[in-house]
Amino acid sequence: MSEAAVIGLFVATVQFATLVYLAALGELIAERAGVLNLGVEGMMAMGAVSGFMVGLETGSPWAAFVVAAAVGALVGGFHALISVVLGADQVVSGLALTIGGVGLAAYVGRNVGGRIPETKFTDMSIIGLSEIRWFGDIFFNQPPVVYLAVLLGAGSWFVLARTRLGLALRAVGESAPTTDAVGHSVVGLRVAAVMVGGGLAGAAGSFLSLYMAPGWTEGMVAGRGWIAVALVIFGAWKPGRLAAGALLFGFTLALQPRLQSFDINFLGLQVNQISPALLGMLPFLLTVAVLVVISWRYRHGPSPAPASLGIAYRREER
Amino acid sequence: MMRPVLVRRDRVLPAVQGFGFLVGIFVALVLGAILLLVSDSNPVEVYERMFDSAFRGTDSLSRTLERATPLALTGLAVAVAGSMGLWNIGAEGQMMAGATLATGVAMMTDGLSGPLLIAVMLSCGVVGGMVLMLGPALARSHLGVNEIITTLMLVYVSIRIVEWLEVGRWKDPDSLGFPRIEEVPGQASLPQLFGRANVGVLVALGLLIVFSLAVSRTAWGYELRLAGSSPNTARYAGVSLRRKVLTALLLSGGIAGLAGAVQLTGTEVRLTPGLSNGFGFSGIIVAALALMRPSGVAVVAFVFGAVQVGGQSIQTLGVSAAISTILQAMILFGALTAVVFFNYRIRWAGSGDGSDV
Repeated sequence: MSEAAVIGLFVATVQFATLVYLAALGELIAERAGVLNLGVEGMMAMGAVSGFMVGLETGSPWAAFVVAAAVGALVGGFHALISVVLGADQVVSGLALTIGGVGLAAYVGRNVGGRIPETKFTDMSIIGLSEIRWFGDIFFNQPPVVYLAVLLGAGSWFVLARTRLGLALRAVGESAPTTDAVGHSVVGLRVAAVMVGGGLAGAAGSFLSLYMAPGWTEGMVAGRGWIAVALVIFGAWKPGRLAAGALLFGFTLALQPRLQSFDINFLGLQVNQISPALLGMLPFLLTVAVLVVISWRYRHGPSPAPASLGIAYRREER
Repeated sequence: MMRPVLVRRDRVLPAVQGFGFLVGIFVALVLGAILLLVSDSNPVEVYERMFDSAFRGTDSLSRTLERATPLALTGLAVAVAGSMGLWNIGAEGQMMAGATLATGVAMMTDGLSGPLLIAVMLSCGVVGGMVLMLGPALARSHLGVNEIITTLMLVYVSIRIVEWLEVGRWKDPDSLGFPRIEEVPGQASLPQLFGRANVGVLVALGLLIVFSLAVSRTAWGYELRLAGSSPNTARYAGVSLRRKVLTALLLSGGIAGLAGAVQLTGTEVRLTPGLSNGFGFSGIIVAALALMRPSGVAVVAFVFGAVQVGGQSIQTLGVSAAISTILQAMILFGALTAVVFFNYRIRWAGSGDGSDV
């Protein structure tokens, strides 16, 4: 196995991690405000298709990124309308959003499937750092969306942990009635959180269709929205731990298409003889395993989940 | 400034809940029409074609029933778990697991007579679905692991398993190198009723009746619903929550696995990674619209069968079949909204302290 192949694996790890991190960060913000949004897969699909189409039309990946974020926020806003403003079941609304979003994306993109975008995000070297051996290539020679994801993660941590807005947001996720009594708008905070979350999922979608796998095909999100939902649990609702989880999952996602070219013998097993179909299961089996381990760890104590997660709030039923 | 507030209605007619589905259909048709207009299609023409292809004549009706069968079974699977507040959103994968085990047994048992082979394959379908559900069910009952994510993750795993079998062990030697699994033996096809409708319709109908009675009329069903709605009461009454969670989820997985075996023996000729064809995901919407009641599942599955047959038919008009998926999700959103307004009314309240609420 050559050095270049190993570096390539880790470069892809960081990119896959960015993809799931952006979406998971959005879900984290919504869940900290007490709203479960199982529509991430649908929002990513809508972001991927709208971003791709704007990219085709304008030739600007950044315009695509912004539009995809706006579309994601809009789709998220729909979930907020149904589940926060009207107080309908968050699980049902989120599942319908995933099914409907994937369907709507297929419909919207019916005429652009198979086309190749002329422009996509290009890699950007960070001067000085990109020269460092190994690390430079892996971390500092990446598309700008990667750096943006780091900034967004740090920013989200700062807002959630260190500002009044973040305090209000966390409070509404822990106890909506108390937050209401203090004078914050429960509906306002929750709608905003869900829309920001949707925006991040949509943006992640455009990173998929304009960098990771340039183009649009039906079902291209392929379960990665769901991995993002699971990552939030893995990350214990904290942006920092979420990043660690994203790198772990990014590694398994990056491993699958590459392992075939690796001529290594692991525990007597020739790695490149493993079927790609079986390797493709890895991220999904890992998700299940990780959730089991986490539940095992918290089996005696309270879960780190926001206390009001998934519970609609209606003031007159306080 | 006046702002709207939702206030719970004093009197809610229980029968009215079912109308949410009708409102949902109406809302979906209106929104769908707007979408079609925006994309330069004629909604009247599209809807007319959908309606005709789903209902006009016995052949159309048989197609609708053919599609409604797996939807009814996956809908029932989701509803059985849902009647105790659990979500099985991996019916898509359990279908695949059921069909896989059924295919495997058909390969091993050469020369069984038709009815016996079908019975064995359908039983294997149930077992296959249960096997795939075993992990999520145990994790949920003993550790409280969120079953929504685990059941869904196994969908992708089961698809990969079929892809692996397709190119490897089970590859059809006569396929000229094309990755494909052998057809199931001819005597394993379910007898046809009329047109394209097969005995699977009766299997689904029978199970719906059995579960409808079991959930609403037996002590077992009462405990199941009690364990879902008020776990503490159930625990004081001596109900083992663990066992209830396990049985509800395993039954759910088994029914979805049966759906896979029925699809394999009734409609498809061989196991493919696309056998589930979205039926498992549509089953979630079916069950949610049926408010987790088996009796409601029958009605909603029939309508959704029609929507899907209609969706296929409009492709000849140059309209994407994705419309039918969008309509299904819109029906659910419409119904969700309608049910909120059946239970609440809007009152315009003055802004400020909210003391008038």
